[in-house]
Amino acid sequence: MSRLLIEPFQVAFMQRALLAVLVIGVLAGAVGVFVVLRRLAFVGDALTHTVFPGVVIAFLLGQSIFLGALAAALLSALLLTGLTSTRRVTPDASLAILLTSFFAVGVVLVSRERSYTADLSGFLFGRILAVDWAVLLQTLVVAAIVLTTLVALRKELLLRAFDPDGAAAMGYRVDLLDLVLNVLIALVVVAAVKAVGTVLVIALVIVPPVTARLLVDRVAGMTAISCALGALGGYLGLAVSYELSLQRGVRLASGATIVVVLVACFLVALAAGPGRRALARVVGGRPAAGNPAGGRPAAGPPTTPSSEGAG
Amino acid sequence: MSWLTDAFSGTFAQRALLEAVMVGVVSGVIGVHVLLRRLPFFTLAMGHATFPGVVLAALLGVNLLLGAGVFGILVVLAVALLGARERIDDTSAIGVVLAGAFALGVLLLSAQAGFSKDLSAYLVGSIVTVQPADLLITAITGVVVLGALAALHKELVLGAFDPDGLAALGYPAVALDVVLLLLIELVVVTSVPAVGTILSVALIAAPAATARLWTDRLGPTMALSGALGAASGVIGLVVSRNLNIAAGATIVLVAAALFAVSLVLAPRRGMLGWRLLAGASRGGEVARAHQGYGG
Repeated sequence: MSRLLIEPFQVAFMQRALLAVLVIGVLAGAVGVFVVLRRLAFVGDALTHTVFPGVVIAFLLGQSIFLGALAAALLSALLLTGLTSTRRVTPDASLAILLTSFFAVGVVLVSRERSYTADLSGFLFGRILAVDWAVLLQTLVVAAIVLTTLVALRKELLLRAFDPDGAAAMGYRVDLLDLVLNVLIALVVVAAVKAVGTVLVIALVIVPPVTARLLVDRVAGMTAISCALGALGGYLGLAVSYELSLQRGVRLASGATIVVVLVACFLVALAAGPGRRALARVVGGRPAAGNPAGGRPAAGPPTTPSSEGAG
Repeated sequence: MSWLTDAFSGTFAQRALLEAVMVGVVSGVIGVHVLLRRLPFFTLAMGHATFPGVVLAALLGVNLLLGAGVFGILVVLAVALLGARERIDDTSAIGVVLAGAFALGVLLLSAQAGFSKDLSAYLVGSIVTVQPADLLITAITGVVVLGALAALHKELVLGAFDPDGLAALGYPAVALDVVLLLLIELVVVTSVPAVGTILSVALIAAPAATARLWTDRLGPTMALSGALGAASGVIGLVVSRNLNIAAGATIVLVAAALFAVSLVLAPRRGMLGWRLLAGASRGGEVARAHQGYGG
């Protein structure tokens, strides 16, 4: 087991890759909780596609891809918030149009290049093994900003999720809160773009919180599990794809392997969820703070999960 | 049959044009139903989810459309089963299925050689290399889909606006829903190889949303939407040939541009029209009431 889980990370580039997926996993897991509570999976998916043209334009101009993604993220979060709040068109129609047209701008620009297809797949799926310290630093800075904002606005965002009318009546600017959340989602994409690419980020944002939602009721517990799952999926996915590529000669894209690991965790939770809740009912506690399912420790209160029993 | 295949041979450019027009019309018409039932995200998921099917079919050496079709049906089932769980809302169910299926496709493909080339062809399509056989399939699909939509028009519309009423009248409501989902899948599956997964959603959502801005009545909306889809295809192809840029993406941008122009200019529902109406009614109560009525 240690050969699979520890050995790959003795190489420097694998250590950097691991650090990147751990940070991105926790970050996406935390933001994802709000995405799932607000039922914004489509918005999240749209934002992952709309960052793409920014990446391409920055690449073509020889500028920092990070800055390009950042600019596109902020612009598309603004446009998206505006378009979905208008009642001329239904939100899902405007989302679909915004998503496809932004993405198309990126494709049109890339299609002028000679290395068209290779570039395209690099942008879409990232190159996790090529992550250097500069990229890592950018990811860490974005993660710090997003997590700080989430902690600071936690109450307001939750109130908006569960009772938008109440939030408005209490004097909060609901549209502003929506914009903040959309910008945060876009920033997750920006943080992840070099490592896992724009397309697979949506899996990191959606799958861990949905899995956590199956296991616990309380938002704090859901957040803790979601972050832990994001990190765990990144770790295991990276280890598995490395092991298979090196030892078995099967080349697996690491980003996709991470997602498949996350989906496997989801399926386990789907099977274990009802049993766990029945157990909690028998024990007599609240259904929220319950026993772990599938050997996973510390599912309950909002403590930070110190370890994941995955060895 | 030979006259039929003859009609679909010809130069690359002619074939691409014909494919763009057929896909545009069918996508535009069914797009009205997709928007009525708020299914754009579902349609997007279906496009992504056909991906592992296409890869698997290529590996096993069976027909690509068959692989895509089977996976499309699996996706419909998975979303329905997950969405029925109390703790998973429909949007999250679609998100999980989309992400999982797409990653599976990437995983399967990454184990092959020529990874990036195949992938981009799938994502953005390659309408200029469309074959006579593809055209024939698109034509047959188009006839089937349009025929079914026409035959079931009343029932499908009633189901969109008043599902309880439909069931109360004795119609098989669930069966009708399934038929509509299968028709959408048919359109997505036949158009993805030619135009790509991203474009297939764009051609379904954009023309229908644009048509909806110009008229409130369903019949004219469908006719206009089909015409807009075909027009986007033709204009997009011409522009992409002249500028030498990706055809599929250009078609998307034309469809989106038509939408953006309509959003500003359309009478009553457009921004300018809305302003005029709001100005005429001092304060905009009428405009707001109209929006509430229309939306």
